[in-house]
Amino acid sequence: MRKKKVLFINNPILSLITSLLLVFSFYCRPKEIKILEPPSDRHQPYNFVGQKGMVVAAHHLAAKAGLEMLKIGGNAIDAAVTTAFALNASEPFASGIAGGGFMVIYVASEKRITVVDFREKAPQEIPKEIFNDEGKIEPNGLAVAVPSALAGWIYSLKKYGTKNLADVTQEAIKIAENGFNVSQTFSRINKDQYEKIITNAGEETCYLNKGFPYEPGDLFRNPELARTLKLIVSKGIDEFYKGELAKKIVKAVKEKGGVMSLKDLALYKPVEHPPLKGNYKDYTLFSIPPPSSGGVHIIQLLNIIENWPVKKWGPNSPAYIHHLCEALRFVFADRSRYLGDPNFTEVPIEKLISKKHAKQIVSQIKPDSTLDFYPFGKFEDKVEESGNTSHICVIDEQGNIVSLTHSINHFFGSGIVPENTGFLLNNIMYDFSSDLNSPNALRPYSRPLSSMSPLIMFKKDKPYLILGSPGGTRIFSSLTQIIINIIDFDMSIDEAIEAPRFFTYSSQGKPRSVSLESRFSEKTIEALKNLGHSVRIREAFDKYFGGAQGILILKDKKVILGGADSRRDGHGEGY
Amino acid sequence: MKKITLATLFLIVLFSPVILAQDGEESAPPPFEQPLLITSAGQNAEILMASVLAKRAGLDSKLSKIASPKDLENMKTVVLVLGASSKGLGAAGLDLAKEKERVNLLVEEAQKKNIPLLCLHLGGEARRGPLSDELISAFLPFAKMAIVVKSGNKDGFISGICEKYNIAIVEIEKTADVLTPLKEAFK
Repeated sequence: MRKKKVLFINNPILSLITSLLLVFSFYCRPKEIKILEPPSDRHQPYNFVGQKGMVVAAHHLAAKAGLEMLKIGGNAIDAAVTTAFALNASEPFASGIAGGGFMVIYVASEKRITVVDFREKAPQEIPKEIFNDEGKIEPNGLAVAVPSALAGWIYSLKKYGTKNLADVTQEAIKIAENGFNVSQTFSRINKDQYEKIITNAGEETCYLNKGFPYEPGDLFRNPELARTLKLIVSKGIDEFYKGELAKKIVKAVKEKGGVMSLKDLALYKPVEHPPLKGNYKDYTLFSIPPPSSGGVHIIQLLNIIENWPVKKWGPNSPAYIHHLCEALRFVFADRSRYLGDPNFTEVPIEKLISKKHAKQIVSQIKPDSTLDFYPFGKFEDKVEESGNTSHICVIDEQGNIVSLTHSINHFFGSGIVPENTGFLLNNIMYDFSSDLNSPNALRPYSRPLSSMSPLIMFKKDKPYLILGSPGGTRIFSSLTQIIINIIDFDMSIDEAIEAPRFFTYSSQGKPRSVSLESRFSEKTIEALKNLGHSVRIREAFDKYFGGAQGILILKDKKVILGGADSRRDGHGEGY
Repeated sequence: MKKITLATLFLIVLFSPVILAQDGEESAPPPFEQPLLITSAGQNAEILMASVLAKRAGLDSKLSKIASPKDLENMKTVVLVLGASSKGLGAAGLDLAKEKERVNLLVEEAQKKNIPLLCLHLGGEARRGPLSDELISAFLPFAKMAIVVKSGNKDGFISGICEKYNIAIVEIEKTADVLTPLKEAFK
């Protein structure tokens, strides 16, 4: 040993080679990612950082649950389902087992993308006259569609995951049992929805704090949900669709004036189909086809925007906002004319997402004024105020990806909680059109039109962006703006998410006002008014525009960046 | 020991007018009588909370989101829950001007009939802002008493009006805490 040491020191060539190797290895070492502490101002852009995997969701406990699943060897699908269950416990007002949604999955080993559609369906016996004179459904049992989230999550888990039901519910059960301190967001939404909750769930529900809304900092626990999840683990999901839980769901719906039957629940099955594909510049986007309008309209909007020099116009510029608003009004006109459940109506998807159709729209948009009429417009005034729903993004070490958007529709859904179960039933029936001639008309077992748009974007042949958002009919508008912020305005993921947003639509062929976050300048607002837009100023960071979650995959820099929207309680966890 | 007793007696004698006065104040009849009409100024969600509180306090109350002067029939108190909700106004088909007009007619009639007004502000900080403040400024001055969730009065806006118009104000931490002062107001 000693001899060798002497030899090393006395051999200048060997010493030089060793030194060079040391210098080389120092420069080629895996780069340590400098992780900054989150800023005290939650609205200040902040990228969560990872190298192997990441989970971004609307609650920190749910994101942590998903990350733990990745760390113990679960894949992206295991982590996404774990996060979904954990969100049911930690953000119960936006999603849960009695809701529904859509999942885009990228299977890295097969380089294949697939869509799992678990949108709720109308009960078979639903009467057509459930709409009142104003075209609305009363907040009662008739608002509840056949719950489908649990079936969708477990279908995906069994087909693409590696873990079992007990593994993916463990953290959700802990959160429900131990509870957590309520955030400002939770408290505010709880107060806003008080009337519905107290009317449908009663004073004793865990969704109220001794009969009153939760204040920020109050402890929220849901032991009944924990018991329900344990029951599902021990008896399987048939307990929910055919067993005692199914009976409780039907009983709760009927007691509140609904018509759901045990047969409706027993017959529910999620479906899997290929994604919808579109291109924007050098990027390829994969999202979901109808019954969500989201995928169609994001592709449509990007096809339209491709014709304009948006980079030159710049973010927040009147020209950019004006042109995109006009595009949105045409898109909403198409939405009302064509979009619905493809099992019941023919949707001309290829036409709508074609570059030719986009060019036809572009040719009608005036750069210096709004139009008076948007052809085909018959969209009912069903643009809800609520920024409901929730989105999860996951990527694992093998490169598998999940982009999952799910919902119980409005915040706190229908407000109906089946006896001693702790979960909220959806009010997705609100998404049907009251117009019997609409492609989105209510029919037994049909799926109402959605705006959810979970997506995965590829740069050349590599996954680049995972993105999705809640926000009702604002979803595809907000996601388009985030994509443009990243691709054209060179923003990083969270900067793109936190940037000020706007939205408009057309109804009956007429333009509606432009909603803008109050961070837009007076100069911009005046310029928009001069172009003919009426404007409505909203909060600086308004959850009306959604609460997007995204992951940017920068493989060349060996880093994954997560962005989580401060309009809600978004959070990312990477490793 | 004797010294202590004498000192104690001295203190009792010294402060007895104060003690008696306070006692006298506490035993004064509460300002409000039942039955009470609960309505809002601003179509907020807190009106339902006020109704639950009244029920828990065992009070004989009637809730009306769009109460008009005719709802004052047989009523002995009006409880006005302050704070504007754009969502609530929209759902009721009202704008701020129409809502102000409705509440104004109600308050005027209540004044004519000597029906006292109890104002509640239960929405905290989230139920402040230009619309809510306009309603608070318009109707709080007519109140005999206000019960307010503290976080809604961080800037002293509500207590400032109360001071100006000599209105008794009770600040509480949470909505549920309204129960005690509400019960006491109707004892």
